[in-house]
Amino acid sequence: MRKIAALYSGLSYQNRAWNEPKYRKYIADIVYVPDMGPESLAGFDVVLLPSRLHTGLLMKLKPLLDSFAAQGGTVVVFWPNDAEQIVPNQNWEDRPTNFWWWLDKNAKSGIEQRNPGHDLYNYITLQDATWHYHGVFWPQGDVVPLVETEDGGAILYVDKSSTAGTWVVTSLDPEFHYGSYFMPATERFLDGFLPWLAEGEL
Amino acid sequence: MEKHEIAVLDIKVGVMGEVLGSTGYSYIDMYELPHASLDAYACLVINGSSDQEFLLKHKAVIENFLDQGKVVLFGGQLFRPWLPGGSDFIPRTIHSHLDYHITVAKEHPIFEGVDPSELTYKKGVAGFFARGHHPVPEGAEVLLTLPDGEPTLYIDRSSTKGTLMVSSGYNLLGYRDGDSTSLIGERVEAWIEQEYKQLQEGVPSR
Repeated sequence: MRKIAALYSGLSYQNRAWNEPKYRKYIADIVYVPDMGPESLAGFDVVLLPSRLHTGLLMKLKPLLDSFAAQGGTVVVFWPNDAEQIVPNQNWEDRPTNFWWWLDKNAKSGIEQRNPGHDLYNYITLQDATWHYHGVFWPQGDVVPLVETEDGGAILYVDKSSTAGTWVVTSLDPEFHYGSYFMPATERFLDGFLPWLAEGEL
Repeated sequence: MEKHEIAVLDIKVGVMGEVLGSTGYSYIDMYELPHASLDAYACLVINGSSDQEFLLKHKAVIENFLDQGKVVLFGGQLFRPWLPGGSDFIPRTIHSHLDYHITVAKEHPIFEGVDPSELTYKKGVAGFFARGHHPVPEGAEVLLTLPDGEPTLYIDRSSTKGTLMVSSGYNLLGYRDGDSTSLIGERVEAWIEQEYKQLQEGVPSR
């Protein structure tokens, strides 16, 4: 099993999501970001960044993440604040969030599956990744898209080409909703996503 | 009291429903709290997406602020004991949207003419407002409740020499729209002003 460091900045929803026993068993350590130093990620295989990190903390993290990826580590990013600065080799496009698409008569999320044979889809379904999203990535490198909008913006993708490591990047924010006791699809997403991160083929 | 006498602890990230942007309030980076001078402020607003480990480490700053006869607003889910009189958030077990129904438990000018179902539902969807509660300290005034009487909004004038308004959902300063809810934000501002004035009358001048 890969050693996962789940980053934590003292927020209630991170606290709930990372400490839920069915997720905690896949997390080697919960690492409090304000206390992190240059060696804090040593010994981990995967670092998991929650959404909604204070921008000052993100700037402090950036060199640590870059060096972690340069050494072959896997960086997982949930809907990042300041995406342009944190995620390599892509352009971020903010999109107004439609919380209400599923209320329409001919409800269509506008979210589509890519690479259905990818190992992630042995762990989750497209429906488990379907709630709302806050924007899309336009990756520049050779990446594996897994969830995209109809017009080709990436919502979830894996990038093994831009750095020596692996970046698993999504504009979804499952730990926020699960940790805030809100939105059941986000629980199904985490139920599959964390075991995939720990044991699956990335 | 001027708007800039309300200081918001800035979480430096956009989170829906929390007090952000150009509101006329003062903003303090939350990690600067221990170094910031709070003398100029009547009220401190603490968002739900705040670092509660950090707030616990610096809880004395918040206690001291309150003990000068000032007001603190918090909206969110507590899980560390940093807020005077505060208890850990208890989620409600949700079986249907009815479990989210909000009731005005006590008449209060903030909620005059407010249709509580407009607090519960947005576009027919429930759950944005509160999904659980904090047990209240002794003597607290409960304003809003969930279906089994769980308090989702209370005012606490007993735990400190100041006043706390504590919500298990959002703090209410952000409410500026809706048919019956559009005045809530300004009414909370007026309430802060009145509360602060009364507290200052009772606090011996330093």
